[in-house]
Amino acid sequence: MTHKTRSVILLTVGIAVLVALPVVVKSSFAIDIFIRILLFSFIGTAWNLMGGYAKQLSLGHAAYFGLGAYTSTILEINYNVSPWIGMVAGGAVAALASLPIGWLCFRLRGPYFTIATIATAQALMLIFLKFRDFAWGAEGTTIPNLGAAPLMMQFENKGSYYYVVLGLLLLGLLITWLIERSWVGNYLVAIGEDEDAAEAIGVNAPKMKRDIYMISAFLTALAGTFYTQYIYFIDPATAFSFNISIEAALVAIVGGIGTLWGPLIGTVLLETTSTLLQSWLGSSIGGIQLTVYSLILMAVILWRPTGLMGMIEELRQRHAGRAPARA
Amino acid sequence: MFETVAQAVINGLLIGGIYALVSIGVTLIFGVVKIVNFAQGEFVMIGMYISFFLAHQYGIDPLLSLFVTMPVLFVAGVLIQHFLIRRVLGPNDMPQIFLTFALSLLLLNLALMLFTANYRTVHTSYSDEAFHVGGLYIPEAKLIAFGVAMLLSGLLWLFLHTTDLGKAMRAASQNRDVAMLMGINPNRVFCVALGIALALAGAAGSLLMPFYSAYPFVGQVFVLMAFVAVVLGTLGNVMGALVASLMMGIAESLGIQFVGADSGQIVVFGMLLLTLAFKPTGLGGGRAR
Repeated sequence: MTHKTRSVILLTVGIAVLVALPVVVKSSFAIDIFIRILLFSFIGTAWNLMGGYAKQLSLGHAAYFGLGAYTSTILEINYNVSPWIGMVAGGAVAALASLPIGWLCFRLRGPYFTIATIATAQALMLIFLKFRDFAWGAEGTTIPNLGAAPLMMQFENKGSYYYVVLGLLLLGLLITWLIERSWVGNYLVAIGEDEDAAEAIGVNAPKMKRDIYMISAFLTALAGTFYTQYIYFIDPATAFSFNISIEAALVAIVGGIGTLWGPLIGTVLLETTSTLLQSWLGSSIGGIQLTVYSLILMAVILWRPTGLMGMIEELRQRHAGRAPARA
Repeated sequence: MFETVAQAVINGLLIGGIYALVSIGVTLIFGVVKIVNFAQGEFVMIGMYISFFLAHQYGIDPLLSLFVTMPVLFVAGVLIQHFLIRRVLGPNDMPQIFLTFALSLLLLNLALMLFTANYRTVHTSYSDEAFHVGGLYIPEAKLIAFGVAMLLSGLLWLFLHTTDLGKAMRAASQNRDVAMLMGINPNRVFCVALGIALALAGAAGSLLMPFYSAYPFVGQVFVLMAFVAVVLGTLGNVMGALVASLMMGIAESLGIQFVGADSGQIVVFGMLLLTLAFKPTGLGGGRAR
């Protein structure tokens, strides 16, 4: 069996399992966890395009999550536009917003780029807190519950939400896969390795960074719309939560930065840990989840900078014995 | 009108002294070790909690607890450099950024678990005292904090310019490779830089305690200010960070006075974004001093 057929079989089985999951598992608690895993895998995948391949380490992706969430909600409540359209509109708003934000932040490199992204996300949150005329200010608003209204992205059972977010994740993975195997992916990796060297061999780094940031922002905004529809509520503190930015980066780094499956694997590990912790200790102790996450993050950085994907790759090579490593 | 402006400027200047202690630490680490310490704010928080518990358990005045917080955090800084940061120094930014970021998350959430999100305050005999000069109102605790902050900044300046170790630190920040060729031990210099920076953060915590509440997220307020001040004052430049911090304290205070109580942060972010747009190398130009 060639490597390629094996990959295709694995992929088909994987997708079949994911599609069948809500049919087999009936517990709405479990499906809620699956939805969280798929959602954060998707956000992590969007982050990974920019943070993983091009190594532009943003901690401000909540800006685009929030813009997506607010665009679709404002369109739905004020203009009765379906969130399906609002979702795409939110993506477009986020992609447009990424241009001036990127213009500012890309003036800085390394850690100061990271700080600038944090600041822009915080600044957007403050704007939405302050201007109550068009976006309900600090109190936020609930999304009117229309019962079963698939055209308005509202469903009566959690399984349907599961399929929506599964679709988003598959879209994110498909885009990543296409980019990874094209020249764009190579250029991004070159920028991530050494931006000056990449420019010296003719990579237009500012343009590449701008474009990948737009795609990353667009995808993150889709997640924002989905999440708001799923929890029926929006306010600046949830939509622009710093935790969104943190988790986007965290799942990708723990899973394996700059790899196709890294964000998904990282999310499965982190969300499972967090669910187990909550069932053992109860959610009464504030801060326990992020304490554990930060310990995992430190361990990965100190001992396994390639993340879980790096470990899997190592195991596979050991398992394959003396078989020649793939180039 | 004049009095309102003058009062706002004084309030801003006094709190700017605290911002300066935090930003000088950030810029010192950046200048010497070439990393950004995302956890700097959490060390202010730790300094505050140490002072709080010393005051609460043993009745020690927060200003006296400076003599505890500064050495404790100095040692913490040396250990963090030696056991954690040293392992991630290299050409790649990712581990450096996310190591100190993870440290920040860890300390913040540990504090949340251990001390809960409650606000802790210490009341001292001078907490409510104030001087009245002309029509102006100068709170005593803030004036003391400002004075000590300026004293510590001055001592640091003297240390960097007159002692061998200080000169070695400045040399390492100007050109690390040449400094190493001249026989400077980088890890020792880095340990001292981290130690001093954390000691300053701890001092900021103790100085804040008579007039500010301690809570797990308190460091975030100060670290954001510090990051902006450090960009504004040119990365790695100690004097630049000091001046920029005082300016930002004043700008924030004027913003609160004339735009609204919750607009202080907007002013800060506005300043950061304007700096990035028009003068990304900071007000002092491109050179680190």
